[in-house]
Amino acid sequence: MDAAERALLEDALRKSLTTCGPEAEPGSALAELGWAEMLAAEPDTAIPLVFRLLGETGAQAPVLNDVVLLAAGRPLGGTPPLPYAGGAWVRWARGDGVPTGPLDPGLPLRHAEPGDLPAPALAAGRQALGWWLLGVGRAMLTLAREHVLDREQFGRPLASFQALRHRLAETYVALEAAEAVLVAAAAPETDRSAGENTEAPDSADALDHTGALLAKAAAGRAALTAARHCQQALGGIGFTAEHALHRHIKRALVLDGLLGSTRELTREAGRLLLRETRAPRLVDL
Amino acid sequence: MSVEEFRRALGAWLDRHDLSPGTDHSLDAQVAQLARVRRELWAADWMRHGWPDAVGGLGGPSVLRAVLGEQVASRDLAEPGLWSMVEVLVPTLIDYAPPALAAELVPRLLSGEEQWCQGFSEPGSGSDLASLSTRAVPRGDDWVVTGQKVWTSLAQYAARCVLLARTGGPGHGGISAFFVDMDSPGITVRPLRTMHGVDEFAEVFFDDVRVPAGRLLGSPGDGWRLAMDLLPHERSTCFWHRVAHLYSRLDRLLADGCEPDADALGAVWLDLHSVRCRSAATQRALADGGRLGPETSVDKILLAGAEQRLFDTARGLLPGSVELAPDGTWRTEYLYSRAATIYGGTAEIQRNIVARRLLDLGKE
Repeated sequence: MDAAERALLEDALRKSLTTCGPEAEPGSALAELGWAEMLAAEPDTAIPLVFRLLGETGAQAPVLNDVVLLAAGRPLGGTPPLPYAGGAWVRWARGDGVPTGPLDPGLPLRHAEPGDLPAPALAAGRQALGWWLLGVGRAMLTLAREHVLDREQFGRPLASFQALRHRLAETYVALEAAEAVLVAAAAPETDRSAGENTEAPDSADALDHTGALLAKAAAGRAALTAARHCQQALGGIGFTAEHALHRHIKRALVLDGLLGSTRELTREAGRLLLRETRAPRLVDL
Repeated sequence: MSVEEFRRALGAWLDRHDLSPGTDHSLDAQVAQLARVRRELWAADWMRHGWPDAVGGLGGPSVLRAVLGEQVASRDLAEPGLWSMVEVLVPTLIDYAPPALAAELVPRLLSGEEQWCQGFSEPGSGSDLASLSTRAVPRGDDWVVTGQKVWTSLAQYAARCVLLARTGGPGHGGISAFFVDMDSPGITVRPLRTMHGVDEFAEVFFDDVRVPAGRLLGSPGDGWRLAMDLLPHERSTCFWHRVAHLYSRLDRLLADGCEPDADALGAVWLDLHSVRCRSAATQRALADGGRLGPETSVDKILLAGAEQRLFDTARGLLPGSVELAPDGTWRTEYLYSRAATIYGGTAEIQRNIVARRLLDLGKE
């Protein structure tokens, strides 16, 4: 797929995700656009694009299931048990059933019995969720930016106050960092073969999964940073259910816990360092 | 030669040629070591890769210099900040000096024969660099410079200085750049004592210093553009070197038997990994012919944050290493890391740039 085709696809996806509303289930819209074929043929294009757009538009679809099942080498269409923060397990329900979720009613996560998820499936799912969290973060930053440019206090736009400018700058930097880490995690083979490491294949494999682990941690951290700063920049209106921000905040919180929270993944990375007694360089020039 | 071939061949050569520094950690010894490493790498041609033929180089992509600097930093052959100064000074000379001057003098820097310095900041002009007041006025065929610079790294060792001085009115447009011989009459260098105990910065006083007309870099009024053009160099290759150095310090922290706080160590790695990924992307953009602009402020913010988190964590997980240990390794670098959010544009200035230029939030 070349750049022009990708732009066309992004446009079509964004339109269909935007029109179906925050709590609707755009799985069918994605199916019409050929999600399953796209995922099978060009996962490296499809996953970042679709998941980032889910975040940016506030839509939801049960597509994480497909990413995980594909990487696990299982047939698409099921709802595999997915690990959640704190040792819990959930399933992401499909279909037209009433969406449920105590914090984010748009995400139909149900408690599940513990299952097993092969490492490659976990890694693929973490990368996909990373892109989703990045999109959610960008959506929050867009809302906060519009607000500080529009609203005036003390006779000047909020955007002219350095305290707020720096909060939004901080958010932007965290999101840019997360994107760089996500991009790097998507192309580990070339980077690793360029390195001087001569690790055994399974050690290299473990590092592959570490790239995905760090990518989700970076994206989760960025989304939580965005939530904190953007809510502050939006002031009172951002605390109401009349403004869109709260939905993005809740989505970021729920997605952060799925397949391991930022806190848990960061700790896992630290444990790996303590085992290896050396910090792996996962990307190279 | 591909990047990978270069990396392997260089690694093999460095394995055979031990350029490790001695036990003397004084600044004199560090600067001598820096010159020695450059001399050896120049003689063996490694130092020539990635620089154009016109200044004695062998050509090839600038990413080769990033790989060389990474090896130098990872093997602790030279302090990365001092090592990286060429990354800023040489491109500036190539872009702005008369070609014959660059061809004559650049090889002296690359080969370790000379040190150079950069005279930008002044006591009254730190973050607000464009307000600088050192003046250069024409006299006959020469310029005469009067004023004071500060935070000039290695000025006491330097043979030349890339100097910003005002030749016109106030603001950006009135600034010009010069390439000044440091042995010119009227220059006085006074090293600054810093809190980390390494006197690598100096004040430089210019008292009616004559600079030949041929040492103007670019045209009168080009000084600000030169200063801005230099940032992408500082924030691509140099940052990659610094990140490599910080990784080596995280390795050392683990090897020194730190407290096994997985949360804190994981957070350090996440920061370092983030800035490494970002820096790799920046260098890909540069290699693809992109021009780097305000987006490098993101790299700068990430790097400074990662550096301070690393050394804060080291101080926490190796209790006493900064305060009590007879060996000053962690102490010196911890203290130096305090400056990471100040030098090269403060953390606040970087956030101002992000807000104004990247988020388009308008004026303050």
